[in-house]
Amino acid sequence: MALGLREISGEPVIDSENGEELMRVQPGVDIALSNLPRESPGTLYITTKQVIWVSDVDKSKGYAVDFLSISLHAVSRDPEAYPTPCLYTQIETEADDEINSDNSDSESNYVHDLSNIREMRLIPSDPMQLDTLFQVFCECAELNPDPNAEEQEEEHDWIFSADQMEDEEAEEEDYMSHNPTNTLGHSNGHHDLARTILELQINDQRFEDAEEIEHDEKDTHH
Amino acid sequence: MLFFSYFKDLVGREVTVELKNDLAIRGTLHSVDQYLNIKLENTRVVDQDKYPHMLSVRNCFIRGSVVRYVQLPPEGVDVELLHDATRREARGG
Repeated sequence: MALGLREISGEPVIDSENGEELMRVQPGVDIALSNLPRESPGTLYITTKQVIWVSDVDKSKGYAVDFLSISLHAVSRDPEAYPTPCLYTQIETEADDEINSDNSDSESNYVHDLSNIREMRLIPSDPMQLDTLFQVFCECAELNPDPNAEEQEEEHDWIFSADQMEDEEAEEEDYMSHNPTNTLGHSNGHHDLARTILELQINDQRFEDAEEIEHDEKDTHH
Repeated sequence: MLFFSYFKDLVGREVTVELKNDLAIRGTLHSVDQYLNIKLENTRVVDQDKYPHMLSVRNCFIRGSVVRYVQLPPEGVDVELLHDATRREARGG
């Protein structure tokens, strides 16, 4: 997986065969990379996988970055931070990885300067569009979870599928307001455990202390 | 899933999110999803001298995979609840 910003030339290419969809086209957007000067108006294409900017002046000039590489995005309206309201993004780069893994002698030494771009600002000519752009970015970012995170989830059996999770969530909402302790038990999908513990506490009269503990817990959580 | 449930309880509180690139952002927790993507409101950068350009943004979406730590408000930490939940999680059942 290639991290970071990359240069593209010509019209944006959308990989619809692999499920990539165009979510929004926003004309009249300037772009500013790191501390480089702001570039003349262009068109912003937001897809389910990436953000693409193509210059209006020179159609062969453009940039693209995957949502997987966008660490954070935010609406910036503070004139001290940047003179014009913009969507501020931070970009994770291959160079970041190399600092971490310390193999600086790899081939990336002659990669284009873009590999060092860690910030990108998108400046719409109409600042009213910022909140919408922010929302679209949020939706698309959520569609692109870390691939490594999913691998981990499969290794451990206490994480369940997305379908299950929706059911659990609906249930969870009900429990949330009543008993946060049970919420955590249920969120792990351990209905049986939660029930067993409950039955144990109710039915087994031999352990007087256990009941007291239960009361204590209730006091603490409310 | 433990932390997803736990963070959901902290919505509306002030937290500090520390990223793997050392940037620390303080703000009101707006929402969190199952990938631990975090949305903050009324944010400000903790180390403003080091990151002057990010002085303040109104709302901010942080990718779950770049988060190193989330600093919780002391009053939002229920130690007993966490002990209980982590034990259950560790048992795996």
